[in-house]
Amino acid sequence: MPAIFSIDPRSGVPIYLQLIEQIKRAVALGTLEASEQLPTVKALAIDLTVNPNTVARAYRELERDGVIETSPGRGSFVRADAGGEQSRRAADDIAADLIAQAVRQARALGLTRPDVNALVERALKRWFGPGDNA
Amino acid sequence: MNTIEIDHLSKRYGAQRAVDDLSLTVPEGSVCGLLGPNGAGKSTTFKCLLGLARPTSGTIRIGGAPLSAATFETLAYVPERSALMDWLTVADHFAIVKRTNARFDEKRAAELAATFKLDAQKKLGRLSKGQQTAVALALAFSIRPTVLVLDEPASGLDPIFQRVVLDLIVDAAAGGATILFSSHQIGQVERAVDRVAILAGGKLVLAGNVDDLKGSEKVVEAIFASDAPALYEFANDARVRRVAQNGRIVRVYARTDPAGIAKALEAYAPKTVDIVDLGLEDIFLGAVGDAPYAASIGVA
Repeated sequence: MPAIFSIDPRSGVPIYLQLIEQIKRAVALGTLEASEQLPTVKALAIDLTVNPNTVARAYRELERDGVIETSPGRGSFVRADAGGEQSRRAADDIAADLIAQAVRQARALGLTRPDVNALVERALKRWFGPGDNA
Repeated sequence: MNTIEIDHLSKRYGAQRAVDDLSLTVPEGSVCGLLGPNGAGKSTTFKCLLGLARPTSGTIRIGGAPLSAATFETLAYVPERSALMDWLTVADHFAIVKRTNARFDEKRAAELAATFKLDAQKKLGRLSKGQQTAVALALAFSIRPTVLVLDEPASGLDPIFQRVVLDLIVDAAAGGATILFSSHQIGQVERAVDRVAILAGGKLVLAGNVDDLKGSEKVVEAIFASDAPALYEFANDARVRRVAQNGRIVRVYARTDPAGIAKALEAYAPKTVDIVDLGLEDIFLGAVGDAPYAASIGVA
């Protein structure tokens, strides 16, 4: 299971946020299924060589966001209802971040708004096919 | 209660202030990375923590109490320069810890010796610096300490054993141990710690939760079409921690208000302006290298 998480400690993105994002992504993609058990804080910390308090913080926030639930003595689980609206929103968030990043970099490379628009159109056509609302 | 509390610690050697009014708390179960350039006061702080140097002023409490013989039953430390005995074998060293510390865990010691591939019959004087560090670490972790103080614990170790050290630190932290360790390799510190304290010139210049620091510290990066102009207005700007200029690129390290700084930079008509997240290394350089910009553009 842990093979699906990998953190980049040198990144400017806080490690607990990297973990949250990856777990949300795994739930959205179905790699982590509804009601599936997550590793304990200790096990995941040791597995990723990451501070246990950092992992605990990620779990706390995921619980607050309604992605996982923790019952004392049993461990942490993906919530049974995490597949629906919840993961739809997570997928939206992830995609929005990726697109924002790509646009930011295109702008940094000196492309204009119409340039970027044309590239986005081309990508949309490639993956969704021609047509207006595909 | 395994908290490490350093309260207004100062240590002077003659006129030199090696540590200057340092206050730092490492809560129970936390791993704190102590960073700083050479001569920042890290080793002196460790010496005071371990009772190897007497503070000029200030107090140190471990587990809520001042240092005493009892402190050292549960505290393990690895000094920067190995304090092992050249003429004794690796096995002799384990035997000494077994005799002197009731918490010594034989099984754990054997595991550690195997992990670090230690040859029990070798004399310490015949080991490389890295192997000596490995012995010191194996001894330290063999008592399953509740407080660990490690001065450059990975120095001289190859990348594989460096990772082993981090794994040991994370494992001990997961078991509730409180850990303070210093390292020159920031990338290494970054994953195992939840807090950092940055020293420069004997003073604490920045301390806090690493993820919170990463989330709050930003750099505003502007790229110009030709050489970047001198940005006089930032020389004495309280929002700005530091400005680094390299040809066409200017990086303004923000203490606060990165968006406002980005707006001010737009006035110089750069090609692009971006607000970028800072990694720990950048945060470190920003904190340690405060203020040379004003001098470099002739505004003192």
